[in-house]
Amino acid sequence: MQRAIERRGIPTVSVTVALDVTEHVKPPRAVFVPFMMGHHFGVPFHHDLQRRIILTALDRLTMAERSGDIHALPVTWAQARREGVVIERAMGIRK
Amino acid sequence: MMATSSDTGQLRPGIWTTVNERYPGSMISKPDTVPLATLRKPVAQSRLAFVSTAGVQPKGTLPFDVVHPVGDYSFRRVPSIAEPADLEIHQLKYPTAGANRDLNVIFPIERLRELTDEGMIGALTPDFFSFIGYNMDPERLEQTLAEEIAEAVVAEGAEAALLAAA
Repeated sequence: MQRAIERRGIPTVSVTVALDVTEHVKPPRAVFVPFMMGHHFGVPFHHDLQRRIILTALDRLTMAERSGDIHALPVTWAQARREGVVIERAMGIRK
Repeated sequence: MMATSSDTGQLRPGIWTTVNERYPGSMISKPDTVPLATLRKPVAQSRLAFVSTAGVQPKGTLPFDVVHPVGDYSFRRVPSIAEPADLEIHQLKYPTAGANRDLNVIFPIERLRELTDEGMIGALTPDFFSFIGYNMDPERLEQTLAEEIAEAVVAEGAEAALLAAA
């Protein structure tokens, strides 16, 4: 899919949580986050993290120097979840 | 730094092998890469498309066939102005615990709009694109759905595309 879009002259970047799958598929550019499946942009209500993942991915459109580039974001799932809990407590939706 | 699966903390390592054992021949493996296209303008001046395998679709559209043995090779258009409350997920193959509370964790439509309003993204295509990742015939996927979505992304006037495979 990503390769089909890139072939039409539109630069593409994907966000992945499955690094081994991405290594097999070889998309033009990818950002890897070590998160649970279905949580590519982080945890609920953590707007800063969601934005950071999008912006990091968009940066790769100009930064990636060769096709097949996979950039690892220096984040962990445990840290993302901890921050999410703090945010939800501040919102009053979690004890 | 180039990431490799041998040195990073993927939460479920070996997904490619596991899925390919369970559904033989379903996983794509490419021997080569495709040449990079060049961004003609900065992101802040470019129109961005978003493509997702999350099975997100506007309420009231034909639900994805999540029980078909070889998968559903159709896609849905999701207006980039849609609100999460107007969207629903039809997909069985990934945990939706986060998405059910905040759709942006898998389909960050509100964050993309914010970044566009703030001028960090030039514009969004009128429609985003969504399908389901459960497709057991990779050749059919490549020859039909991938080509159809790529054509639609071009037709939307996209100058860059962000993708997320749920």
